[in-house]
Amino acid sequence: MSAGLRRRTAPWAAAAVAVVLVGLLVLLGLAKPSSDSADTPLLGRAAPAVKSTTMDGRPFDLSRRKGSWVVLNFFNSTCVPCREEHPRLVAFANAQSKSANPAELYTVVNDDSDAAVDAFFKANGGNWPRIRDDDGAIAVAFGVAKVPETWVIDPNGFVRLRVIGELSDGFLQQKIDAMAKADGGQS
Amino acid sequence: MTIARRIKSWPAWMLMGLVVVVLLTIGGTRDNGPLTQSERIDAITQRVACPTCDGESVYVSRASAAEAIRNQVARDVAAAKLTDDEIIAGIAATFQAKVLLVPRATGFDALVWVLPIGVAVCSVTALGFAFRRWRHDGAVPTVDDVALVEKLLAEDPSDEENI
Repeated sequence: MSAGLRRRTAPWAAAAVAVVLVGLLVLLGLAKPSSDSADTPLLGRAAPAVKSTTMDGRPFDLSRRKGSWVVLNFFNSTCVPCREEHPRLVAFANAQSKSANPAELYTVVNDDSDAAVDAFFKANGGNWPRIRDDDGAIAVAFGVAKVPETWVIDPNGFVRLRVIGELSDGFLQQKIDAMAKADGGQS
Repeated sequence: MTIARRIKSWPAWMLMGLVVVVLLTIGGTRDNGPLTQSERIDAITQRVACPTCDGESVYVSRASAAEAIRNQVARDVAAAKLTDDEIIAGIAATFQAKVLLVPRATGFDALVWVLPIGVAVCSVTALGFAFRRWRHDGAVPTVDDVALVEKLLAEDPSDEENI
């Protein structure tokens, strides 16, 4: 390449690189700030219509749970993080039972048998309802691919929080209290 | 190449271009006929990636997440209210596009389709310019070349056929 040609093309190449860099910076600037909730298009929107039955045979319709905070915990008894976080859910359920307006906790059984889930709950405690999801409709409606996942739905039926993976100590209680306080209500 | 020869070669190129456009149009719009529900489910699940597997489609995977998506597709197909694209868009919306095996042709994803075509067009154009320049560089004999050829011809005119 001649020196003249290099002189002519160098500014254009530099300008192209500069445009790409500025574009990347703009994308970075426009990126959503991180929050406690995992990303989901359902955040702030009405929770999907979910109908199923509990393991003791009662009907479950998520839309009829309005008026209370609802916690859905997607669970499988063979998943190690699900087993690890279980004592925290038991503690959360115990704390809620003493609350004036308790949140409703439900386990959504993901690809597991009734017998295995029953045996796990008997051995590890927890007497909240377990919802069947035999065809995976609830998991697909929420976009849950792996367990554990925990979703919080507010008393108006809007999705407020998605936690992918194991819950940490007190996190659920703390988040629901904070959201309820911000909404001007009680948990 | 003379202008007359260039003009003569145009119809062949135009014919080739026309054939390519017609074939692409037929290929792109051809209707394969009605599908059974099962064929529709297979066709849709082949376009959706299993969210928990590496590089497998929902059609192939036996993972529980893939099973759940396959069941959802079967329910949507049975309901007969949504097109294939709408069913896939619904799944992509909840699983956030990471389940799309075929990228969308809109928004930022469209770059996947546009960039290769752009690069191909630019490359062909650049090659065309380069070939043209090389041909021109080689086609113009220098004064010395002309003198040499004339000298050789003058020495032995019988060799003209071999030049």
